[in-house]
Amino acid sequence: MAYFSDEQEVYRYLGQLFLDLLDDPELAPKFRTANTIVQYRYRNPDSQITVKLIEAEEGQVDLGPTRLEPEVVMTMDADTAHRFWLGKVNVTVALARGQMKAKGPVAKILRLVPLTKPVFPRYKAQLEAAGRSDLANA
Amino acid sequence: MEADDDRQMAGFKDFYQFSAPTRVIAGRDLLDSVGFEFAKEGASRVLLVTDGGIRATGLVERVLAGVTDSGLEVAAIFDAVPQDSDGAAVASIAELARETGADSFLALGGGSVIDSAKVANLLFTHGGEARDWEGYYGLPRADDGAGRALELAPLAAIPTTAGTGSEVSFAAVIKDRDAQLKYQIGDFPLIPRLAILDPASTATLPQAIAAATGMDALTHAIEGYVSRDWNAHTDAYALHALRLIRANLERAVHGGDETARGNMLIAASLAIVPTTSGALGIAHSLSHPCGAIYNVPHGVANAINLPVTIEYNAAGGEDIAARYRDVAELLGVEPRGEVGHALAERVRELVGSLGLPTRLSQVGVPEAGIPQLVEGAMGDACTLVNPRVPSAEDLAELYRQAL
Repeated sequence: MAYFSDEQEVYRYLGQLFLDLLDDPELAPKFRTANTIVQYRYRNPDSQITVKLIEAEEGQVDLGPTRLEPEVVMTMDADTAHRFWLGKVNVTVALARGQMKAKGPVAKILRLVPLTKPVFPRYKAQLEAAGRSDLANA
Repeated sequence: MEADDDRQMAGFKDFYQFSAPTRVIAGRDLLDSVGFEFAKEGASRVLLVTDGGIRATGLVERVLAGVTDSGLEVAAIFDAVPQDSDGAAVASIAELARETGADSFLALGGGSVIDSAKVANLLFTHGGEARDWEGYYGLPRADDGAGRALELAPLAAIPTTAGTGSEVSFAAVIKDRDAQLKYQIGDFPLIPRLAILDPASTATLPQAIAAATGMDALTHAIEGYVSRDWNAHTDAYALHALRLIRANLERAVHGGDETARGNMLIAASLAIVPTTSGALGIAHSLSHPCGAIYNVPHGVANAINLPVTIEYNAAGGEDIAARYRDVAELLGVEPRGEVGHALAERVRELVGSLGLPTRLSQVGVPEAGIPQLVEGAMGDACTLVNPRVPSAEDLAELYRQAL
């Protein structure tokens, strides 16, 4: 069974994480150095998060339909995304196993991966604060 | 030192994949039978891809004779691959293949030539522009993407340098001259079907290029072995490559004897195999932007950057140091003191003995360029598989040490 019951749950937890990251005074400028627009297309449940990471511009996170035109598209199960933000997915292995698919200049996104490490405990804490220890301990 | 929680440098891994599908033919006097061998891979009308330097050596004529003697046709020759292949070159090659009715590609040259042929083959088969295909495992597959990757046209490679290993690898590196970066395309169909390793193809290789490309092979073997994406299969390739490199690199560069050159061709084709499982490291991450921004030849950049990354990585934990000890033993390093420093010193001695530059400042990299270099290195996929996770500040410090 999938971790998230519907797309709204994806947005409530993963979407909120992106929104929080782009509000973070320390992390947001680092993420914006990617200089790209990345779209995460999730399956099971079908959902979509588009994130604008452009230097010297305000970040933007669109949950669901968007007018942003993504440069990089990452496709994966929502479960994989969830496990990634818990620090349980090795990106290169996930790409090799086909659990993640990347289209576009993926180097722009890969450079962010080392920056995500401090976010893992934050995501777990966010889930626990929301009373979702079932997701936090997935 | 605290180990990264997702790092596993020994034991049985949760997952890895290994693939080395290229039919390799190694030995003497093989160039005369290129056509005979390539026909077995389905080629009948061949587009030969090479560069101006190789054209001037007379090697092209010998290979062409080997193609036609076996009844294959030569559709055309493309001999204008630049030092670092780019999107325009590969588009021209693909277009020439279409115009001349070629059904297969024969790459005769170093890494840029072979990578150009790989990506030209991709555009020839599936269309688009090179940059459209950037990334890994993105080539079309059957069954709506879930099935076997669709085959490209037959590709054979005859390396004229012993270093990149591109003749058996699944990746191609292409330069975006406007963006001043190099990007990679990696997927299994790009792997050449046939590699012909004949020391006759490196007989006219200038000493400096033999040295630089040999250091590229050494870097592949060391980084492949210590990468966090190491695996048991590729360990075997990396370790034997190290044995061959130790025994043959200096002889091949200084004496140029045929046996040493032949063994270095084999070493290079073994050393690259770990990269097909994703195993590399930050010496490559540091070197790619040096080439993209300052045109530093890849092997030279690796030769300079490898020692500082060995010292950095080996200090990252006992599990990493243990892997470097294996490397040090094979390279004849006395087991005294910290393995990182001892091995790095051995590599520096080797670089010096080969007559290569030892500092980035000697090859045109300015200190002011470090921030842009770091940006490129942080975005390099090789950084993700380095045994130690570097920060941007770490990479900047490594560049300063190498300067």
